[in-house]
Amino acid sequence: MARRKTRREEEVMNGSLIAMIDVVFQLIIFFVCTVSMQEKDTKGRIELPKAPNGIPVTSNSDDFRIDVEKNGSVGLSGMPTTDAELYDYVTKAMIQTGKGQELNVVIRGDLSTKHKAIKKVMDVCSRAGIWKIKFVAVKKAVSD
Amino acid sequence: MARKRRHSSFMAGELNLVAMIDVAFQLLNFFIISIHPVDTMTHLGVNRPQAESRNKAPSTANVIRVTVFPDGYTLNERLTTAVKLRQELGRLARIDTKQNILIQVTQESTHGKLVELLDMCAEMKLTELSVISSAGY
Repeated sequence: MARRKTRREEEVMNGSLIAMIDVVFQLIIFFVCTVSMQEKDTKGRIELPKAPNGIPVTSNSDDFRIDVEKNGSVGLSGMPTTDAELYDYVTKAMIQTGKGQELNVVIRGDLSTKHKAIKKVMDVCSRAGIWKIKFVAVKKAVSD
Repeated sequence: MARKRRHSSFMAGELNLVAMIDVAFQLLNFFIISIHPVDTMTHLGVNRPQAESRNKAPSTANVIRVTVFPDGYTLNERLTTAVKLRQELGRLARIDTKQNILIQVTQESTHGKLVELLDMCAEMKLTELSVISSAGY
């Protein structure tokens, strides 16, 4: 009699453990979905222009990326930056990476951004001694 | 009388397959949802004329000047459309892909227009691109 009770208790424990793992995974999936929705909200601020004839590249951690939004505001890694701060960051990056004037500066500009905002960023780079600049564009969108 | 032993549905030492399949599907869902397909990116490179060369009078020989306006383009000061510009750039690229293209962009032009032009140059394999800003509209 006592033995049967033990087996039943084991069965109940096994069952509830599986259900707990199930719920844990449901929670993880929920948080992953909500986090990805928030990321889209911030990344969607810049609508990149299309350039289907460009050579495909993968993002490189050595790239010095400058974001320029539709309203002309400049940002680094999502942080708004003034021209003076941008100049400081660029010069520091040139020294810290050891690349100097060969620092790979890429500008992510919204397709509706006025050129005067892009010009400001290019002028800051030129003042720092960087004469080669790259513009990021979408070669092939996932939705295509 | 011997009593028949009821066999429990779960014998010690056996695996509960249903639960395992359930967990496997959960893992599959998790990885499917967490994978984010990304767009294929490209970098369009340009040069800025350096300070020393700015002080010198620019040589107009072998330089193709394209000006980007908010509503169109000019090629060597002649108004043109995007389609005609592409054709003309293609014709010039067949002569020499190392020709210098001087791109003037007006302040009010959009970045999308500039990238459209850079894309045309990439299509024609024109690589010697310089960008300067024009003070005009």
